[in-house]
Amino acid sequence: MIHTIGIDIGSGAVKTVLFRDNAWVAKRCERIRRRDPMELAKQGFDEVVAEAKLKPADVAYTATTGEGENVKFATGHFYSMTTHARGGIFLNPEARAVVDIGALNGRAIWVDERGKVLSYKMTSQCASGSGQFLENIARYLGVAVEEIGPLSRTSQNPEKVSSICAVLAETDVINMVSRGIPTADILKGIHLSMASRLAKLLKVTGITKGLALLTGGLALDEGLLAALREELVTEKITGLTATNHPDSIYAGAIGAALWGAFRHGKLKELQERAAA
Amino acid sequence: MNVKEIVARCEALFEDLRFNAVQQWKAALPGRKAIGYMPVYVPHEIIHAAGFLPVGIFGGGDQIEVIQGDAYYQSYICRIPRSTVELGLSGRLDCLDGMLFPSVCDVIRNLSGMWQIMFKDKYVRYIDVPQNYDDAIGGTFYISEMQHLRDDLGALRGQPITDAELNASIAVYNENRKAIRDLYSYRAQKPWQAPTSEVYLLLRAGCVLPPEEHTPLVRAYIAAADVEKRARRDNARVVMTGSFCEQPPLGLIKSIEMSGCYVVDDEFMLAFRWLMDEVPADGNPLEELSKAFLHRSAQSASKYDDKKEDKGRYLLHQVKSRGAEGVIFAAPSFCDPALLERPMLQEVLAKQKIPYTAFKYAENTGQMAPIREQAGTFADSIKLWSAA
Repeated sequence: MIHTIGIDIGSGAVKTVLFRDNAWVAKRCERIRRRDPMELAKQGFDEVVAEAKLKPADVAYTATTGEGENVKFATGHFYSMTTHARGGIFLNPEARAVVDIGALNGRAIWVDERGKVLSYKMTSQCASGSGQFLENIARYLGVAVEEIGPLSRTSQNPEKVSSICAVLAETDVINMVSRGIPTADILKGIHLSMASRLAKLLKVTGITKGLALLTGGLALDEGLLAALREELVTEKITGLTATNHPDSIYAGAIGAALWGAFRHGKLKELQERAAA
Repeated sequence: MNVKEIVARCEALFEDLRFNAVQQWKAALPGRKAIGYMPVYVPHEIIHAAGFLPVGIFGGGDQIEVIQGDAYYQSYICRIPRSTVELGLSGRLDCLDGMLFPSVCDVIRNLSGMWQIMFKDKYVRYIDVPQNYDDAIGGTFYISEMQHLRDDLGALRGQPITDAELNASIAVYNENRKAIRDLYSYRAQKPWQAPTSEVYLLLRAGCVLPPEEHTPLVRAYIAAADVEKRARRDNARVVMTGSFCEQPPLGLIKSIEMSGCYVVDDEFMLAFRWLMDEVPADGNPLEELSKAFLHRSAQSASKYDDKKEDKGRYLLHQVKSRGAEGVIFAAPSFCDPALLERPMLQEVLAKQKIPYTAFKYAENTGQMAPIREQAGTFADSIKLWSAA
């Protein structure tokens, strides 16, 4: 019986999952909120191990992803693209594109049925296509994070944000508020702006058909999902259907745990071959 | 000394662009002189035999702002000559009594001429190297080049350099090279115990310390690193190539390691490992140094390959002997030798089905995220999809 743990240290939250023989056993998600992500990673590890009634030594491979390179107790680290691709396929085996949209950046990944990355494209360092930007705007507008999606979906006349720069986009939003644009239309406009960038990223990867699964911290924002569906039509990528999964935010951690199990097997095989 | 203390000392030497260690060495005894040298290789033994300190000058790194140096070069020239000019014009290299410019590329060759014009009171020499590996042709030429240097440095100290002095220096450098070879073997064997960021600093310390002090420091590091408790990570083993002249910032080396790679061989400060085995210290010293250069020296893009089939031979040797799983081509922007050599080396690797990735840097590169992402995904692809 092989136990592996995946820890995804994101910019907004630390997600931890435990797998037993490639079956999902336990999960934790902790918002960082100015705490030390390394400590949260350790806390997540301890909690999932305790939930599965294991000892730390029972874990064959602890894999980190995201900003987890410096987690001292990890066996190995995998990059977000690699882990989101694998996690996306685990959550929905039909997915052939994974759109990871986190607090600080977004990326579109074209994957095959094994979770191998065939092509990818990510946003530049500008933050206006990210979850952190959306959270900041919601705070200015006095809207709770969980209200963003439902409010956006009620929009009748979305006001698109013109700039791709977070600073200028914030100025745009301030102007919209002073012009009396309804909050729902502002939020939908931001969603459309973000979705437009994501659709363009998907287009650049070269994928034209199949299921595109949203992962990362913003994956469950129904307003963003609806906007992405609209933008896929605008970009004429009608063969792609955007969707999400209730556990989409765990995709990175899941991918890390599954790749950890794969590596554990591969290393064991190499050791046995060397011994023979 | 423990690892932390050794590394802290090396880091302090690395960061000191006023070269206080060189100044202190000179001040310890009257009449002492220090001779700077640029990458990739100069015969240190001749400088040492004169009683002088060879000082490796590898540009200003990411610690100095280049203002005057930029005025001397076009925008499409690499950064090391600009930052070296900056070091010189800002008085940081005043402790040097001379500078040697080995044959690396046209830019460094031109820098030797500029140095002669800018620093008229200093000894300056361009060190040419053979492009023919026959002892009777290339050897004769190279011995003559070394003899010039020997005569010049003898004149500088006011007394010719004897064969006995040269042989004694060869013996000293044999010890230094052996210690560094052992360090590289140790790192390849246990890369988690001897991270490349530390090995790199240890080598950089050798640029300003006399070999008699550097060799024991290297030995002390190996012993200290071996008793350190350090976790072994599931990282990909890679050879880093292309960084033989302008050096990447330390942060870049750390980023590559952090991204999931164990660097098991590299081209940093190749001068210390240029001659690949022991040079006989009881024969004709210049002849022995020449033979070592012609027949038993490392390859780099700055060295002429006599035969087409030799291209990539050294890199393949590095990969195979160190058990590397892939190669990272990391070359300075605008480095003609490294960037022109790259496709030829990549062809050799492709034939052998050895995975590789490539990027460029400058000695003051500050944005590590894209490089980390690229090296990290490369490491992932090796770990998950390689045939081994």
